[in-house]
Amino acid sequence: MTQSSIDSLARLERFGRLLETVALVSLLFAMMLLAVGQIVLREVFNSGIIWADELLKLTVLWLAMIASIAACRENRHIRIDALSHLLPETAVRVTRVLVDLFAAAVCGVIAWQTYRYLQLEIEFGDTVLIDTPAWAAHSIVPIAFALTGYRFVVGALRKALGLDPVAAAVGVP
Amino acid sequence: MIVISILLILLAVLGAPLFAIIATSAMVGFSKDETDLMNMAIEILGIAELPFLTAIPLFTFAGYLLSESNAPQRLVKMTGALLGWMPAGLAVVALATCAFFTAFTGASGVTIIALGALLYPALVQDGYPERFNLGLVTASGSLGLLFAPSLPLILYGVIAEVSIDHLFLAGILPGILMIVMLSGWSVWVNRGNRQMLKTFSWRKVGIALREAAWEIPLPFVVLGGIYSGFFAVSEAAAITALYVLIVEVIILREIRIRDLPRIIRASMVLVGGILIILSVSLASTNYMISAGIPQMLLEWVSSLVASQVSFLLLLLGFLLVLGAILDIFSAIVLVVPLILPIAAGYDIHPVHLGIVFLAAMELGYLTPPVGLNLFISSYRFEKPILEVYSATFPFLMILLLSVIVIAFWPSLSLWLVPEP
Repeated sequence: MTQSSIDSLARLERFGRLLETVALVSLLFAMMLLAVGQIVLREVFNSGIIWADELLKLTVLWLAMIASIAACRENRHIRIDALSHLLPETAVRVTRVLVDLFAAAVCGVIAWQTYRYLQLEIEFGDTVLIDTPAWAAHSIVPIAFALTGYRFVVGALRKALGLDPVAAAVGVP
Repeated sequence: MIVISILLILLAVLGAPLFAIIATSAMVGFSKDETDLMNMAIEILGIAELPFLTAIPLFTFAGYLLSESNAPQRLVKMTGALLGWMPAGLAVVALATCAFFTAFTGASGVTIIALGALLYPALVQDGYPERFNLGLVTASGSLGLLFAPSLPLILYGVIAEVSIDHLFLAGILPGILMIVMLSGWSVWVNRGNRQMLKTFSWRKVGIALREAAWEIPLPFVVLGGIYSGFFAVSEAAAITALYVLIVEVIILREIRIRDLPRIIRASMVLVGGILIILSVSLASTNYMISAGIPQMLLEWVSSLVASQVSFLLLLLGFLLVLGAILDIFSAIVLVVPLILPIAAGYDIHPVHLGIVFLAAMELGYLTPPVGLNLFISSYRFEKPILEVYSATFPFLMILLLSVIVIAFWPSLSLWLVPEP
């Protein structure tokens, strides 16, 4: 690989990370303000937004999906972490690469199956939030699983090349 | 089928992400039933149907914000002023503050990192024995899971479809029991040490209360708001998050605005790990229910044990093993749907079941060889893991005793819960 392609890959990584953080911050703030806004509307003005509850639930979906990509980048998906404390480092490294590739494959299958489902939603013209196309609101699911799968492949490569530590970081980052 | 199950368990033990294991087991089930795998999409989108789920990211964010501010110091100072005069006062302070903090941060290791660093040197300075301190701080790291608004309580409520408000009330007395029993042990161990006795002073209490004036209303916002019927759990979470954000960032200015993206990212990574497991487990649970697995389990269990007492014993044993292997969130989403109908068959109240479940899983954080708190503590305080094991062991035994009391004394959990 040439130096310039390594540089552009590194830029892509930084950009992806930034995009995740921006999305997580925006979604969390949107969720907080929408929920508090609903309370104010109800208690003070005796009114409310009809679709607010549905929008909040979709925000949870988006937040969960994007956070899953971020969790993969930080190697913080929940695992049974027993062996990494008990086996020698090389053995842990090899098994981690293998199980990460397995996880990548699973993500790929889910991304494909959920993509098929979106096509069905387009075909039937399903809507959410009164008149928003359902496929648009749900599009994050295949995207997030595809990207999580991609991240597992990258993570497996990095672990195989010894660029990343194998065990997840302990405690608060 | 059996070969695939064994393979999946092997992969899980080797450290495959649990969501991938659960998703695979659901998809294998689907294809066996000749169900289109596209149904995975419907199941995963199920997390956009569950009620109250916004509470999980919002409370987690609030907890992380608190842990990054100086709230832990203020909390220790305030509890110290109020309880420090007691024999083994600082130990009791450690237990109480850790419990409060874990309730807000969900025992993800944040408590040991944020509070342990504060309490451990203070305990050493006050002349408490080294091993005792290590065990105390490690054991305190998951104490408080039974107090509102802990994430496991909320998640159990969502999965078991029982009122989260009732769970919040039900956790109070059992949670206090755990603290009291550990406090009693701390007093007993340190009975010979007179050096630690402090005097009580109203002036100190006043200063500490004034310093913590912004954080003191928090439990009242959470609990008061919910029980007055003023808002739902998810709304209390939003208010709490916004309140903590305004106090720590704008009023007290202990957290810089440019640190917020990092804190939000860190807290949401934890949430993402939990919710992704929840989403795929909706699929595996639905498959297991349609395959009649809960009924089969019920028949199998009822052929083993007849009385409620023996069932509870069996359940406790199972949960202790489970807690040693699996983290609390995965355990809730995977196991609760299976044992709820069985427990109902033995006439166990779902709220009581939840408290027993969480109390028993709490021990899992301390169970060798793989309890999470043991490793965090060993890493944080730079102690060999074997030393952490043995220092924590007496605390583990006390907690085990308290879990047994909680399991066999249902009215302790159900005391504060209103009759339906």
